[in-house]
Amino acid sequence: MAANRDFLTQLDAAIGDADHGVNMDRGFSAAVIDLDATTDLPPGELLIRVGGTLIYRVGGAAGPLYGTCLRRAGESLGDAQVFDGEALLTALRVGLGGIQKLGAAEEGDKTIVDAYAPALTAFERELRAGGDAAIAARKAVEAARDGMRATVPMQARKGRASYLGPRSVGHQDPGATSTASLFAALAGALDGER
Amino acid sequence: MSLATPDGGPRRATIQSVERAARILKLLGAGSWRLGVTEVAERLGLAKGTAYGLLRTLEAQELVEQDPETGKYRLGPAMLQLGNAFLDNHELRARSLLWADSLASRGAEAVRVGVLHGSNVLIVHHVFRPDNSVQILEVGASIPWHACALGKAIAAYLPDAQRRSLLDSGLVPLTGRTVTDPATLEESLATVATAGVALEDQEAIVGEAEIAAPVFDDMGHSVGAIGVVGPVERLVPDGRVSATLLAAVRETSRGLSRDMGAGRVRSRGPAARP
Repeated sequence: MAANRDFLTQLDAAIGDADHGVNMDRGFSAAVIDLDATTDLPPGELLIRVGGTLIYRVGGAAGPLYGTCLRRAGESLGDAQVFDGEALLTALRVGLGGIQKLGAAEEGDKTIVDAYAPALTAFERELRAGGDAAIAARKAVEAARDGMRATVPMQARKGRASYLGPRSVGHQDPGATSTASLFAALAGALDGER
Repeated sequence: MSLATPDGGPRRATIQSVERAARILKLLGAGSWRLGVTEVAERLGLAKGTAYGLLRTLEAQELVEQDPETGKYRLGPAMLQLGNAFLDNHELRARSLLWADSLASRGAEAVRVGVLHGSNVLIVHHVFRPDNSVQILEVGASIPWHACALGKAIAAYLPDAQRRSLLDSGLVPLTGRTVTDPATLEESLATVATAGVALEDQEAIVGEAEIAAPVFDDMGHSVGAIGVVGPVERLVPDGRVSATLLAAVRETSRGLSRDMGAGRVRSRGPAARP
């Protein structure tokens, strides 16, 4: 997230609040520090905790959106110490539900959802086709990146960019971009499990 | 040629070429467009020769310019001068400059001044939050009236017919908290009219809230509104509107209204409406 911070800030400066990258870096850095200090918590609890940190430390719209997403995902995982691809799928779906409830965004609005929804679909499709979670996560990253790039010509229909005028057209959405990063992180983590 | 307007009066004939020129300017201004002659002609349903003549004339006036590499057209530098002149000549904006600065430093939050334009609020002035953070200038932004406190503050004090037409204008959701039911919105506008101040809690942007009050002119009409906008945890801490910011916004709007020529501003209860 730190490496992407400047890139995200540039994107956001073109169309939004100019602080998405800074905000995300601050929030995730805080979450990492907090994680280092925690003892053995089940993954669900960890997600809830990180979600809470993001809500308080990221700021902007991204904080509540990503924070709620992770909290809901964590809640759905319960206190299981291990979970399978199916449980992860449910957690991801519930996370998206949290984002859409808060932000009311749909595909095409030029938001996080434009990367997340295709990623979720790809993840599920791969699981149903018999792939394991790690492969499904990699397919999800590809779909998230495709979705992220697809936001370039879109005109924003949510968020500050939606009422600043047409200047959002021609720029990639910062929220969709950071979403692709998060799915990449997920895929990386699952790859490491194998 | 005389056509009846919706209220029954006669409409003056418009001059077709001027109307077409205006549509070209609006088309170029509606997107990050660089458009060629053919694209302009197609989008506006004009003959190519007609579009070309109009573009050349606008170019001579510097209202459009041509990109030397691609030959496509975009808005020209004279548009910036006209835009600035609009702002400079805008009475509410001009009178709001000092008040907005003072409210921003007093409240330590960003301040916006808006006027109603159709069913949107047009931001005519914006003072950044005085904290050295990177922010985007929102002057010129067009926000759906029902999703911002500025819009609600203005709407609560409009004549009934105008308010009704705003309520019926099709209320889109900008977030999960945007109020899109006209009846609910109408009730909240009645509350605004009693309190003299309006609140928006994450109804335009997740994580952001606004507190705004109407500004009146010498005729007692709501000509716009002024408000503070910022993170919801500061404007509505623990679910309650900040009393300090509420007071600051109220006082500022009263001062600005006096500058606009308004008499003593009272909050109006529902019974005060005609």
